[in-house]
Amino acid sequence: MFGLLKAGGKGKIINLSQVGHLVQRRLLDLGITEGSEICVKCVMPFGGPVMIESCGQCVGIRRREAVQIEVVKL
Amino acid sequence: MEIALIGNPNTGKTSLFNNLTGSYEYVGNWSGVTVEKKVGIFKNNIGQLIDLPGVYTLNPLSKDEGVVTSFFLNESVDRLLNILDASQLERNLHLTLQLLEFEKPALIGLNMIDVANKRGIQIDAGKLSEVLGVPVVPVVARSGKGCDKLVDAISTKSTQPVKKNLVYYGKEVEEAIVTLTGMLHGKTDLSVRFLAIQYFEGNEYVRDYLHSIDDQQKLNPVKAKLESKLQKQYEVKSLANYIYQKRKEVIEGIVAEVARKSNSVIPLSEKIDSIVTNRFLGMPIFLLLMYFMFMLTFDWLGTPLSDLLDGFLTGPITVGFEKVLTAIHASDFIHALIIEGLVAGVGGVLVFVPQIFILFFFISLLEDSGYMARVALVMDRIMESVGLNGKAFIPMMIGFGCNVPGIMAARTIETPRERLLTILLTPLMSCSARLPVYALFVGAFFAGNKALVVLSLYVLGIIVALTLAKIFSTTILKSETSLFVIELPPYRLPQFQSLWRSTWDKGKGFVRKAGTFIFAGSVFIWLLSYAGPSGLKVDMDHSYLAAIGNAIAPIFDPIGFGTWQASASLITGFLAKEAIISTMNIIYFVPNDASLQGLMADYYTPLAAYSFMVFILLYIPCLATVATIYKETNSKKWTAFSMIYAFAIAYVLSLIIYQGGKLFGLV
Ligand SMILES: Nc1nc2c(ncn2[C@@H]2O[C@H](COP(=O)(O)OP(=O)(O)O)[C@@H](O)[C@H]2O)c(=O)[nH]1
Ligand SMILES: [Mg+2]
Repeated sequence: MFGLLKAGGKGKIINLSQVGHLVQRRLLDLGITEGSEICVKCVMPFGGPVMIESCGQCVGIRRREAVQIEVVKL
Repeated sequence: MEIALIGNPNTGKTSLFNNLTGSYEYVGNWSGVTVEKKVGIFKNNIGQLIDLPGVYTLNPLSKDEGVVTSFFLNESVDRLLNILDASQLERNLHLTLQLLEFEKPALIGLNMIDVANKRGIQIDAGKLSEVLGVPVVPVVARSGKGCDKLVDAISTKSTQPVKKNLVYYGKEVEEAIVTLTGMLHGKTDLSVRFLAIQYFEGNEYVRDYLHSIDDQQKLNPVKAKLESKLQKQYEVKSLANYIYQKRKEVIEGIVAEVARKSNSVIPLSEKIDSIVTNRFLGMPIFLLLMYFMFMLTFDWLGTPLSDLLDGFLTGPITVGFEKVLTAIHASDFIHALIIEGLVAGVGGVLVFVPQIFILFFFISLLEDSGYMARVALVMDRIMESVGLNGKAFIPMMIGFGCNVPGIMAARTIETPRERLLTILLTPLMSCSARLPVYALFVGAFFAGNKALVVLSLYVLGIIVALTLAKIFSTTILKSETSLFVIELPPYRLPQFQSLWRSTWDKGKGFVRKAGTFIFAGSVFIWLLSYAGPSGLKVDMDHSYLAAIGNAIAPIFDPIGFGTWQASASLITGFLAKEAIISTMNIIYFVPNDASLQGLMADYYTPLAAYSFMVFILLYIPCLATVATIYKETNSKKWTAFSMIYAFAIAYVLSLIIYQGGKLFGLV
């Protein structure tokens, strides 16, 4: 997801398995899983978290986890 | 009849609960407002309504979610009322499908219809009801629209689900369910299909439950075999994932059938978000908001109102009491008790009601608008660097109002270590009961920069908490795992009425405490100051209170306030922080013309006053907070720790400030 990491970037998740187990579960709870389309809304400075949107819902996750999500650009 | 409210977080369950029961429970616009089960009675007396924390699935990750799963396993309920957020139907239906597998009578409240419509989503409730086989009633919980229909449906309609097995999990899973059904036959009253699927999904609560009723050696292989079979055949990652996908397919079908989407406008939320969570503006905006809040509370609005109230209490009210007392020929003792004890003690606390309500109003505004979760996001980077996560900032913000609900709010933090750390540090947040002390002292010593001095104390509390978080998380509470995933709810324009309810609900605790606890305390303190070893009506310096204070006063000498008066008020402050002020009002009793503020200058230097305020900010949490820490950590050791470390850090900091200040020639 590295290439996507700027506000406005859009993509589709193809692989979540690199992400930590608990984070994966939470994202799944929120309906974000492989195949979901996501859009980066904003990126906090100093390596802070990112805010992504999927299906009209915004979620904040840490950058460390965000870069482990594999996406294809849309 | 008992009805349980279940639904995803932040879907309006508590709003509906308040509407249907006419009570008031805590409502806010972020996930994790309700952290324990609450029971209320329906307005029309058809039964009990039970509000539960929000969950995404019945397979819990955090402690508040666990409350719901154990409720399902251990308590019986007549009906389930599932609340869905109509604007997020897909996500919400995952839980609904699990609930229907539970095979208890259920019905659905389709909430937030207004939000869905605004986003261009139309949902056919009739069709949804047909597909799911349970009644579906559209409602708007916030305004109460449709609630009467919902109550009708609850009390009349048969809610036994008509269709079973909405989801077909595939041949292999269904076979395994049959195997488990055979094994568990006659051993439980709960739906075996539900238990089996939850067990396959890895629900630990259900696993423990099943192990308690059947042999673990027999159960485990069924699941293990199923999982390996599926992995070989369909190349799925895990059994849980396979089950999730099956549900998802069914849900996609349902949504396609019942929901229509037209193109909508860009929600206002996104526009606001581009500002408040802006890369660079996020933090400054937060600080600016805080500053604004303090200026209003301590300078622009709060103080003038408090002064007005003070004038009223020391003027007409006291005069009124005097008149009545003279008219009924009250004895000297009664006269002194009422005027110097009660009016001074209770009135001294009540004076701060305006300031406290302004503060609570702001906190309610933050809670209800949706800004809270954004603050957590903005703060995460800082929190992460000290071994916590952004979510821990929410309990701390709530702690500014009162530490007790703040500590409870820590339940939403998933990892036990971060949760414990948050519980231990939340008491350092300056709660509203500490506010009167600051108001009194800044009025007396720092009249020029009231708000700034108070702000410095709040910030000091945060800095100390973060520093200690760093220290604790690298020494006694070490661990690698940290989790931060936060749902950012859409902004909702707070309604005045709900804001007022929420402000009043927080503030009334303060008023009630003044009328009960502080009332009784004031009588007691006054008696201690009135009586002494040599009898009644002694000079206060020879009273029992002075004796008690003198016993510990030397400890506080190095930090600038080694007087018996300060010591005595610190002791009462452990019971409730407001008691510090009522005690001071009694001890330094001033007849109506002079003010307590003026008198303080004789007993404290400005430096000692600041040192005193810092000490009040940090020293031992109040009794109610300590009890909550014990309840939430379930550990005497950590409870004792929370008191000891707080006292130690308070003392050390006050010492540095006082002695350091003297060194630099401040007084
Ligand atoms: N627009 C709108 N907002 C609602 C509705 N119901 C609840 N809310 C708001 O949604 C937020 C969450 O409500 P709450 O009752 O705490 O949800 P809970 O977490 O499910 O208990 C609050 O800010 C409510 O004011 C509704 O029907 N329409
Ligand atoms: Mg709630």
